[in-house]
Amino acid sequence: MKIFKAIIDSFADEFRLVLSNVGVLLFLIGLPLAYPPIYSLIYNAELVRDVPLVVVDHDRTADSRKLVRQLDATQEAHVIGYAADLPEARRAMDARDCFGILEIPAGFQRNQGRGQKSDVILFADMTLVIRYKSLLTAATKVSSNFGSTLKTADSGLIGTIMPEDPMPVISAYLGDITGGYDSFLMPGILVLIVQQCVIMAVAMAGGIRRENPRFRYPAGPLGATLGGRTLCYLVWMILPAILMLYYIPLMFRFPQAANMFQVFLFILPMLISAVMLGFSLQGFMSESESVFMIWVGLSIACLYLSGLTWPRYAMPDAWKVVADLIPSTFGILGFVRMNSNGADLAQVANEYTALWIQAAGYTLVAIAVQYHMRKKALRRA
Amino acid sequence: MKIFLRSLRLLASRPIYWGAIFAVPLFIMLLLSSLMQNGIPSQVPSAVVDMDGSAMSRRLTNNLASMQMIDMQNNFGSYSEAKDAVQRGEIFGFFLIPEHYQSDLLGGKAPVISYYTNMSFYISGTMTYKAFTTMALMNKAGTVVSLAQSVGVDPGLATAMIQPIAIQTRGIGNPGTSYAIYLATSFVPCAIQLMIMLTVCFSMGQEIKRRTGPRLMAMAGDSPLRAVFLTILPQTLIWFVIIMFMESWLFRWQGYPMHGSWLWITVSELLFVLACQGFALFIFGLLPNLRLSLSACSLLGMLSFSLAALSFPEQSMYIPIRMLSFLTPIRYNFLIYSDIALNGRELFFSRWYFIMYIVYILAPLLTIRRIGSAFRKPVYVP
Repeated sequence: MKIFKAIIDSFADEFRLVLSNVGVLLFLIGLPLAYPPIYSLIYNAELVRDVPLVVVDHDRTADSRKLVRQLDATQEAHVIGYAADLPEARRAMDARDCFGILEIPAGFQRNQGRGQKSDVILFADMTLVIRYKSLLTAATKVSSNFGSTLKTADSGLIGTIMPEDPMPVISAYLGDITGGYDSFLMPGILVLIVQQCVIMAVAMAGGIRRENPRFRYPAGPLGATLGGRTLCYLVWMILPAILMLYYIPLMFRFPQAANMFQVFLFILPMLISAVMLGFSLQGFMSESESVFMIWVGLSIACLYLSGLTWPRYAMPDAWKVVADLIPSTFGILGFVRMNSNGADLAQVANEYTALWIQAAGYTLVAIAVQYHMRKKALRRA
Repeated sequence: MKIFLRSLRLLASRPIYWGAIFAVPLFIMLLLSSLMQNGIPSQVPSAVVDMDGSAMSRRLTNNLASMQMIDMQNNFGSYSEAKDAVQRGEIFGFFLIPEHYQSDLLGGKAPVISYYTNMSFYISGTMTYKAFTTMALMNKAGTVVSLAQSVGVDPGLATAMIQPIAIQTRGIGNPGTSYAIYLATSFVPCAIQLMIMLTVCFSMGQEIKRRTGPRLMAMAGDSPLRAVFLTILPQTLIWFVIIMFMESWLFRWQGYPMHGSWLWITVSELLFVLACQGFALFIFGLLPNLRLSLSACSLLGMLSFSLAALSFPEQSMYIPIRMLSFLTPIRYNFLIYSDIALNGRELFFSRWYFIMYIVYILAPLLTIRRIGSAFRKPVYVP
């Protein structure tokens, strides 16, 4: 009974602390409300369409013009004009009027007629890889399409013995089925935001407890008080988590193939790990604002270590070990596969187990840190 | 001078500054450049579903396995097994050869081959997609050529008929499409921008929180400009060293492209530090409160990673968001990098970006009086 009371009391105490402080509330309410929609809106165009392109045509024939028209007709490229030579085209690129240059060699049409191959060159600006990818896609589409139209035009003998298309090819995207950038990145970012909200709120609350004499360490066995305080943050996070992991994907039409009940079962150990990591960090936060200085900047590291953008199999082993220490690593990998690929809990069992191991590990660290902090605080008092 | 020394002593005495100025930026620098050492993540785990099991389908499987971009890990018996492996994260895509592939092909019945790539993991998905597309086209071409040969068409002619034009794509400045080059050169300065801004707001806010503002103002002869300038100056000098280290690290030791003038890149990086500090001081002047200014800088600093169009082009964003993308100094740092370092352009093309740096540096003059009055009467709510 005493333990039960300690849990309830420390729950209520932490709740009061959270409610009394604008800084903590900002992390628990402001951040989940503001951040995900803004972030999703930034990338909401999903695809990079109509990348401006300048043509240098050394051939100036019907066929070369046809090639340019076909390129212009793709979703990805947009021909803004012709340049007399490469230096002129380069000047347009330097002024950021275009991001690609298509150079058609002299004798292009003649080569076509002779049944010889000609090499068309597409120079692409490499400032952004996604823009390069759009141009590359346009080029691939046009060159294979150009082939098929020419073939049907004068197939002659072969046409009589060969089916129109001897081997149809079908390609399908799984998960992010439109190949959109927002739908790829945001599900992972959402999980990261969930983690960062929790860690920063808990770490900041630690600083407040240290600075503000109004909030003492709740009495009772350490395990029970820590349990009560953890429960407080888990309860606080219910609504933000539902908003971020369910409603934001719904609003922005991200893939949503998961069973939501299973998603929340999956995310629970990540929340616990994050709370416990926060409690562990409290030991190193000399004041409530310190968390900004250390943890905000590391968000970007958490994202890259997760393996969402740069895959895990291509990471150096040392970084894999670091990644294994971060709750969002497994949270992101598992959530993305559930949410986008429709995996069920059994299929993300590896990540789920890892999260529970992390939760247990960080709980031990948190208990040790909190034990010392309480002892120090009692000595001071 | 006394203010300068006092500020230097404060910086050195608190571990939090060491963490924010040295540990975090250097960690991110090391992470982003070493994580993607190989430039592109080749050998993507993938699989084939061979439902035919004939000589021709095995040849196709072997061809797939010999590709550098993918690593064929398994041969599944059915679509659902392969899909399960995708959902478990074991593979990022699979290539499906249908039943009766060989007999249909020889009988002229056009078998359909298909491939599936997991685009939830963009880079790996794109890599598998590229590899599978290449293989499918090559395989198709091979079939057509041998059929054409069998009716007496010259194989060279047949090849040209299948692919009469080849568009070669050449990436200027980064021919190997290295992700490290593209990412580290923009994300590292963006992380440094965040840390510069946070350090400014933290150190300014401390004067209010610890009620040392009035004494600082007295030392500066009640001139807010002197008080702020001399307090920030030690940080500026340290950041100059860090940013020079970053420049050498990225463009010299990592060997990322540097096709333009070293002088102007250096000038750009140094002005970038000042611009970030100016921008942060401007914000602190608007919100002279430790916690609020830190929150504002964190929000802007984190949003900069996507808002400043470092990975998704600003031209594709919605108009209101597109305007916001020019809000933070990193945008100009990135454009100058792209102009001068990556593309080797003349300074002329970057002139406006340098002018924007100056605007950021002058911006705090608008709000500095508010900082002064906040220092004189410090109010802190814990």
